[in-house]
Amino acid sequence: MSLDPVQVMSGQVKGLKVGPSSNGDSRGSWEEKEDQDNVGLATKPKPVTGRRTRKVEGGVFFPKPENAVTVAVSSRVLFRTEREQKVFEQDGVEEYLRFQIEHENEPFTPGPAFPFVKALEAVNCRLRELYPQSEELFDIVLVTYNHAHVGIRLINTINHHNLFIERFCMTGGSSPIGYLKAWQTNLYLSADADKVREALSEGIAAATMFTSEKVTEVSESQLRVAFDGDAVLFSDESERIFKAHGLDKFFEHERDNEDTLLDHGPLKGFLEALGKLQKKFYAKGQRLDCPIRTYLVTARSAASSGIRALKTLRAWGLEIDEALFLAGAPKGPMLEKIRPHIYFDDQMFHVEGAAEMGTVAAHVPYGIAQKHNAKQNSSVRK
Amino acid sequence: MVSTIQNTDVKQKEADRAVVVAVTSRAVFDCGADDGDEVCEVGVAFPLLQALQRVNERLLEENPSESLLFDVVLITSDSQQQQQSSRIISSTRHHGLEISSFCFSSEEDFTESLLKNNVHLFLTTDRDEAAQASQKGVFSALLNGKVASSEQLRVVFCGDAVIRTDAEPPSASQDAAQSFWAQLGEMRRRFGMLDSPLSLVLLTSRGGRESCGTALQTLRSRGVNMDEAYSLAGAPRSPILSLLRPHFLLINHLQD
Repeated sequence: MSLDPVQVMSGQVKGLKVGPSSNGDSRGSWEEKEDQDNVGLATKPKPVTGRRTRKVEGGVFFPKPENAVTVAVSSRVLFRTEREQKVFEQDGVEEYLRFQIEHENEPFTPGPAFPFVKALEAVNCRLRELYPQSEELFDIVLVTYNHAHVGIRLINTINHHNLFIERFCMTGGSSPIGYLKAWQTNLYLSADADKVREALSEGIAAATMFTSEKVTEVSESQLRVAFDGDAVLFSDESERIFKAHGLDKFFEHERDNEDTLLDHGPLKGFLEALGKLQKKFYAKGQRLDCPIRTYLVTARSAASSGIRALKTLRAWGLEIDEALFLAGAPKGPMLEKIRPHIYFDDQMFHVEGAAEMGTVAAHVPYGIAQKHNAKQNSSVRK
Repeated sequence: MVSTIQNTDVKQKEADRAVVVAVTSRAVFDCGADDGDEVCEVGVAFPLLQALQRVNERLLEENPSESLLFDVVLITSDSQQQQQSSRIISSTRHHGLEISSFCFSSEEDFTESLLKNNVHLFLTTDRDEAAQASQKGVFSALLNGKVASSEQLRVVFCGDAVIRTDAEPPSASQDAAQSFWAQLGEMRRRFGMLDSPLSLVLLTSRGGRESCGTALQTLRSRGVNMDEAYSLAGAPRSPILSLLRPHFLLINHLQD
């Protein structure tokens, strides 16, 4: 059975029965149709070692969610939508949608997650060169609770910026969290802290992003991801000690427990996913030239409390390219030197500090620091 | 032999304006062995009928003289069910279902009853029945085997086949599909963005963002504005479908 790709895309299918008369059985379930669809998928049948590849128009290769490192981004962090947000808040949803449709052919400008997404695509290019058949790639999915009315503008914008995003969910107001799971999301970035918290509680690595006016230039060829240690890569157990009993007790506790591994934090899995991709470059002799670089930027000290962090990472089999122990010094200047595409921290104080110096910082609303954040905010308001 | 009985308990809809939805009685009622019980258990299509009814109620709330309403017709072609016709009718009454007429026919000529009743959409759990009806030019769809739980009527359209090249003349079934969609689009416009009793969902499984975008534009040009859109670009459909919880899934049946 040969399928002309043009015909498949335009809906004219000869030979392939999409209708219900296809199978012998009469009781229908949609899941069975999946297999029918697979047969129709390949635009150019290509011999692959055992595995059926999924292709879309243009014969571009597309990964299965379980094999890819899926990064889900909301429209508000991928693009700048402040003007539209204002319309929504002041004039309501109907006016907001009317406004969006009116400006449909005006692409949005890049948002805080944009450079990060571009860097992911650069890594994909390199991965495809080395491993053309592999599905171990970054897969970027737009997950937004916008209505489909905004869809055309979003698609036009993606086209305009030449982004490689073919998958999206526009939920028209319902929670996107279920879809994150369906896409086997490895990292979720959103402007909505509540959604981020919900994702974290479902075990999905997530962080809140903010739009900042000052953004320093970042590399277009090497993806750089920086992580805070406690309550991001590691659990917040040590931070709890510090908050409850102070710095001395913290040091004592860390020293006493130096050989006990820290528990994992919400972003550990994402670091792991990055590590797996890094190893693919190393396997092809590209360690020095690796387009992914990871950083640990922690307030811990190298000589003391940092040891436990390093031992934990080693025990987990995770390599981190650079570990920066600041011993409590401000993170902003260090981050400005590193120029990561994204920096994850559980404390808004550090996120804001980083942003002031032009680093794109994302807040991970996890652990004991959140209660502290809340207290700080309310005292500031007084 | 085809016979139609009008349900006198229900106000009949305007023939040329209503959206006639035919459902097989097998899907609506689970009439087990006649154990003396007057009333049958409800089947998988029951929540769907409730959702259709809610849409009608809301339409009439917006405009008491609204004529663009769902008109539900029950098709019984199964000989076993035929014998239970009085139970079917009394079950309808018992559950307060707004079914305007009951059509009884044999298995061979049930399509005739669909055409006679000017059915715009035929819903069944049986693939073969759907195929047969399609071949006669009646837009058909398979019912969700798992009971959908949402109150809102959720209609999912698999948009991979929306665009038809102009070279091919439209088949009767495609025309039926298009006119059904136009009616749904008009119904949807009666409500605002929030708190609508029906939601129109576009799902493209194969093509990437371009084909989803083109589908959105094509549908909009036909007066159908989707509420939600999902582009899968080859990812498995089942996890997404189980979240979408559609009452039915519409695919353009393309005939060979």
